[in-house]
Amino acid sequence: MKSYLALLRGSYMVGLVYRYGFLFNIAGNVLYMSVTYFLWRSIYQGRETLNGLTFDQTYIYVALGSAVFILLKTYVDWQLSFDIREGMIATYLIKPIDLQLYILFTSLGYCLMSLSAITIPTFLLLIFVFHIEIPLGVGLLIFPFSLVLAYLLSFCFDYFVGLLCFYTESIWGLSITKDIIVTVLSGALIPLQFFPDVIQNVLMWLPFQAIYYTPLTMVAQPTLGWETFLPMLGVQLFWVIALFGLTRLFYDQAIKVLRISGG
Amino acid sequence: MHSFLDYIRLYFIIETQYIKARMQYRADFIISSFGMFFSSLATLGIFWIIFNSIPELAGWTFMQLVFIYGFYMIAISPMQILFDHIWQIRFHVQQGTFLKYYFRPLNMMFYYMSEMFDIKGLTQLAAGVAILIYASIQLGIDWTLLRIALLLLTLFSASLVQISITLMAGCAAFWVLDSYPVLGLAWKLREFAPYPMNIFDGAFRFTFTFIIPLGFVAFYPSQLFLQPQDVSPLVYFSPLVGIGLFALTYWVWTLGVNSYTGTGS
Repeated sequence: MKSYLALLRGSYMVGLVYRYGFLFNIAGNVLYMSVTYFLWRSIYQGRETLNGLTFDQTYIYVALGSAVFILLKTYVDWQLSFDIREGMIATYLIKPIDLQLYILFTSLGYCLMSLSAITIPTFLLLIFVFHIEIPLGVGLLIFPFSLVLAYLLSFCFDYFVGLLCFYTESIWGLSITKDIIVTVLSGALIPLQFFPDVIQNVLMWLPFQAIYYTPLTMVAQPTLGWETFLPMLGVQLFWVIALFGLTRLFYDQAIKVLRISGG
Repeated sequence: MHSFLDYIRLYFIIETQYIKARMQYRADFIISSFGMFFSSLATLGIFWIIFNSIPELAGWTFMQLVFIYGFYMIAISPMQILFDHIWQIRFHVQQGTFLKYYFRPLNMMFYYMSEMFDIKGLTQLAAGVAILIYASIQLGIDWTLLRIALLLLTLFSASLVQISITLMAGCAAFWVLDSYPVLGLAWKLREFAPYPMNIFDGAFRFTFTFIIPLGFVAFYPSQLFLQPQDVSPLVYFSPLVGIGLFALTYWVWTLGVNSYTGTGS
């Protein structure tokens, strides 16, 4: 465990080097939040609620979604494909560590970096600049736990796509396709309540909604209460266990086809 | 000096070789085209979902936004296909490999950009053309020869606007070394181009019209076809905006190229 924590610390330090990039990231986020503000204002156009959500609820959902998005993007798929192409993967395989945990803890370091440099500033901007009032409710208490589970789920998808590179040796197309599927179907860009009923019912059975829809709902509608949130948390936990297991099984298969040219 | 025709011939020779090399990775090409296709339709999908709950957005119907979106996809394609190498400029500048572009009797921007031809961008272009045709049939737009000429002219200008905004961001590499965050920001902004500009308030609309003229990538020129009877006079400037902006970008590029001193190793 100690060695994994050292990895986490190391990648956090590496993240620190790119400080000035964060300024642009925050600037980009503020612009994005402003544009979505105008967009949703025109969509609501004085209407009290749409699909059972008020403007404030939808806006908190969408704006926080953009900050959480940066947090949950692990870039593990890009990292793995780079390591495979350059042959670096061989140096991990000979170490007495578990590849999945090794990559998870390295990416967690970057994640903590973006949490402190991007997500928290965005959260503060949302409250102090956009004057959005987040109602107090039990959802806010559960949100941090839900976010951790969401991170693990997002990691599983990225790790899975990274493992696919063992077969394809290319990443751009796979990663872009995965990003689109995850962002659209998880309700990262628009609350799931806006989807047509049939699609909503299908999406609730898929793991994607547990990544964005679940944690964002806890902040957008925090007063829904324990009886709503605990089952949601349970569903998240179920998917985390299932997907961790599945990616481990897939790793056992994928490692057999790995070819390393040089190093 | 080479003539314009020489450059075109040269470009074909270079890209033929490039495409031959890329085609070795056929699976990559197919998967990437697939990804490109999906990612370019994502925003349209979001519009579709939104329009399930509301009849119109800031005075625009869904089909009108589809038209603007098709226009946008075509307008951003030349940047994607021909100028994609701008993303690599930070590596070349940081590692000093950019020096090689000084040593050929060719226009440097031409030489640099010719090293990459993004084949998957053609999927985006094709999807854009299909969407534009579909929307204009649904909207009953009457395509006279004059209108078609106007469409080609405005598309040319709009693509120059998109190219200029991105290249300008990439040129930051000459001064700040890592231009990735700047480019990333320009890339994020690009997503706002197909939005109706009239949803924005004063300061934002001013910015997207005059400072970072995203409105000229799709929304303003599309108005010439969607509601030709009442467009603001601004729209008629759109062909000039593209050419002027590209000239400015070329000037910034030249400044950057001239100020670059290599890495010393």
